[in-house]
Amino acid sequence: MSEILNFGRENLAFKQLRKRSAFLFLLIALFGSITFFQIIKLTILDSNLYTTKSDENRIIRIPIYPSRGLIKLSNGEIVVENIVTQALTIVPNKTSDLELTLEELKQNLGLKDEELLTFKRKLSKTKYKYDSIVIVENLTKEQIARFSVEKEKWPSVSIKAQLMRFNLLGPIFSHVTGYVGLVSPEEIDESEDFSYPFTSQIGKTGVEKFYEGTLRGGEGFRTIEIDAYGKEVRELARFIPEKGKDIYLSLDKELQVLARNELAGRKGAVVALDPNTGLIKALVSSPDFSPNILNKTETGKVENILIDSQSPLFNRAISGNYPPASTLKPFIGLLGVKEKKINWTTTIEDQGFFQIDGKGRKYRGWKEDGHGTVNLSKSIIESSDVFFYHLATQLTVDSISNFLKQFGFGRKTGVDLSSETEGLLPDRKWKLGAIGESWFVGDTINISIGQGYISCSPLQLAVAVSSIATKGKVYRPRVVAKIEDQFTEKQVIYHLNQIEKSHWEKLENSMVSVISHWKGTAHNLTEFGQETIAGKTGTAQIKSLTDAELTVKEEYEDIRLEERNRDHALFVGYGPLPDPELTVVVIVENGESGSTVAAPIAQRLIDFYADRED
Amino acid sequence: MSEKAPLGYQLNTTIGKSKLTLMKLFIDPILVLSILALLIFGLFVLYSASGQSTSMLQKQALYVVFGLVMMFFISRLDQTVYKSFLMHLFWIGLILLLWVLIFPAEGYKADRWIDLGFINFQPSEVLRLLLPLAAASYLTRGHRKLALKDWLITLSAIFLCSFLIYKQPDLGTALIVLASGCIPVLLAGFPLIILLVFLILIGATSPFIWANLSPYMQQRVITLFNPESDLLGAGWNISQSKTAIGSGGISGKGYLNGTQSQLDFVPEGHSDFIFSVIGEEFGFLGIFLLFLIYCLLLFRVFSIAFNSSTEFSRLAATSIGFIFLLYILINVSMTVGTLPVVGVPLPLISQGGTAIVIHLVAFGFVLSMKKRQTW
Repeated sequence: MSEILNFGRENLAFKQLRKRSAFLFLLIALFGSITFFQIIKLTILDSNLYTTKSDENRIIRIPIYPSRGLIKLSNGEIVVENIVTQALTIVPNKTSDLELTLEELKQNLGLKDEELLTFKRKLSKTKYKYDSIVIVENLTKEQIARFSVEKEKWPSVSIKAQLMRFNLLGPIFSHVTGYVGLVSPEEIDESEDFSYPFTSQIGKTGVEKFYEGTLRGGEGFRTIEIDAYGKEVRELARFIPEKGKDIYLSLDKELQVLARNELAGRKGAVVALDPNTGLIKALVSSPDFSPNILNKTETGKVENILIDSQSPLFNRAISGNYPPASTLKPFIGLLGVKEKKINWTTTIEDQGFFQIDGKGRKYRGWKEDGHGTVNLSKSIIESSDVFFYHLATQLTVDSISNFLKQFGFGRKTGVDLSSETEGLLPDRKWKLGAIGESWFVGDTINISIGQGYISCSPLQLAVAVSSIATKGKVYRPRVVAKIEDQFTEKQVIYHLNQIEKSHWEKLENSMVSVISHWKGTAHNLTEFGQETIAGKTGTAQIKSLTDAELTVKEEYEDIRLEERNRDHALFVGYGPLPDPELTVVVIVENGESGSTVAAPIAQRLIDFYADRED
Repeated sequence: MSEKAPLGYQLNTTIGKSKLTLMKLFIDPILVLSILALLIFGLFVLYSASGQSTSMLQKQALYVVFGLVMMFFISRLDQTVYKSFLMHLFWIGLILLLWVLIFPAEGYKADRWIDLGFINFQPSEVLRLLLPLAAASYLTRGHRKLALKDWLITLSAIFLCSFLIYKQPDLGTALIVLASGCIPVLLAGFPLIILLVFLILIGATSPFIWANLSPYMQQRVITLFNPESDLLGAGWNISQSKTAIGSGGISGKGYLNGTQSQLDFVPEGHSDFIFSVIGEEFGFLGIFLLFLIYCLLLFRVFSIAFNSSTEFSRLAATSIGFIFLLYILINVSMTVGTLPVVGVPLPLISQGGTAIVIHLVAFGFVLSMKKRQTW
């Protein structure tokens, strides 16, 4: 009985087991189908997407950066090269205690407090705490040795070899070559065709900046396969970077050194260029600086250069705005004869001052008693102001402005250096906008002797004066003669062909007489000068001398007590004649006398240049 | 009901007769061959997934051989030999679990291991098999209708074990063990009304359960629903695993050529995520073939179960079949991102000695339950 009962119960249990099994199986199959569909989705429907993803996982591109091109002189002498230096670097986020690590490094390697301070400042600015940051550059052999002994103590710190810029000639060409520095976030953003790593260096001024693209070359890359830990497994492809090109400067080392020595550290600038090609032979801005301190390849404080009141980083030769003073007179005179307001025989009486319509305010010449009867030639030779005051009243500011613009005043010369000034060439519209006043005849009178609102850089002046040497052709000035083996081309920027040849010749003769005539303002040059040169002196007033109530001398002596109020000494010239090879512009700030301070420098440069050529 | 000859006699007869030798040796050739196919395939995949480590392969092979020997011997046993004994194995399992909690083995992140010096194993893995077998044994012990008391005792034992594993802490395995234990209970005819009430109760208390989960478990559940939200953290596993399987496409990247697996992008590619390696290197076709073998195996297991002679063997074998199926489903689902990552190995394939041996022991039991032809 119980057997039968049990059999019945077991049958029932088996039935239930099958029912429950079917139910459970259905449940699992239901969920299983979801998973199965997911597998189909992954492997068949979305396979391409995941293939891409898996490739992105393992394949990365590492940029390769070429070494920077060298800067050389035309004869091949290297001016700026790359040197290998060892830098101490740290990955901030890999350290457990940054302060402690720095303190230990300081103790062990003898780092200076200010170096650490600079690093901390840099650290606070950077966003990329997973990348290595330089603590100090240029480790000494001793520091490297000390670090190597105990480097296990600081896993986040390592020594990295890096290529740095070294200027072999130090400060001599500092304003031409410029310097390099750490690329800024803005510079990274602006660069379109080159992705700078944030530790890379970029040209900040001079040729280094202007020719940045040429010098740095193109970016190459390696495509590598990495594993999950970022370790390289193999290289898949390699694209060789385009090498940085070498640059050959047109500058003449001996001439540059001579010009630099002549300025002897006084504030000022010398520009010497070949008027027939525009190639710059010497470009000195004084004081200059050691580019290697800024390149971080020489110990020294960058701050000292930055805070120097003499502004050594300021390139006076191309960025300085100076009143051209009397050196502008030849151009104004040329305008006078071109416009037929005067001719070469027109004379006036120079009694030392000029009054509009013979009355009112007195515009004084620099010579109290005047120069007597003067024509254009004589007024250039002796630098009569009054003659030009007269001429100015017959000209309009707009005609002066338009004429001077053809010589390159008021616009950039297009020299291959960065941060060139446009200078200032005023006209009616400019004054109304900038000063808020209308134009007065007095303003025109001031301009006629290169004073007042007008200003220009020494380079602009050199370009303008070169046009007299070439009888009207102005070439774009340039400091780079050759890139790799490709010569840079000379390029005419202005061609003044409406001016008669005789005018050019007479103008040149007058400028030769500035030196050769016994009354010429630069007659002192004949004492030592060997080559015939044409030139014009200038003395740029810092303080206005128009107050009629004071005599010139009284006021002058007062002001001159303070050096920074003393006049700038200017000289523009070219030579040797008859075939000029060099245009020279010299400006000595607060040098007072164009003839005794600035002119001799120009004469010596031309003498040296011409002598050596022979 | 079963009156089979004792073990020694059976072995003698098998060796003694030449006819049907394969049948007799393997008991169920299709099941055994599919197991062997999976094991061999598993070793091949493991070699690739482990970064071509022969030492890991050797160790795994050793476990496979050990497991096969265990399976062979257990398959020779008659169920009457072990049936009533299985019930009491529960106590051994309980002691092992307590042992792990009280004397945690050193050098492991979670206290899941017992280190016996020469061999170490995870008691929770053992419980996965032990618990359902013990439950099946207990529930079929009396040949009578089951009372509420029987259900309560069984469930209490299951929950106790799960709780202890959860304390290790290992929520994933705890849930697996819970499910494994509940399957025979459910199949044995657990009253559905109680189940319904129970489910409602769980639903009501789930916020409380959630609050008591460790943050790491909470994170795992959160990333299930939005794995891409935290690509470098918890979502990394799922994302990389999906990428591996997806990039395998239909035919796969080829053996030893899976970039995700070979370059270590797939985490735990040799153990929990070995399915990703299969997907990447053998593609959809490989996966399909694997599923086919699994189906064949399961078909044989259920077939044996339903044709078995006793109530106990039917229940036990069916439970083993379902648990095996559940493991496959959970592992594959978590690898492709339809379930949270709970740490279930792919049966017979994933690296892990304890799991392999346990599965083979389970199949040994299943084989021993096959209704024999008279011979």
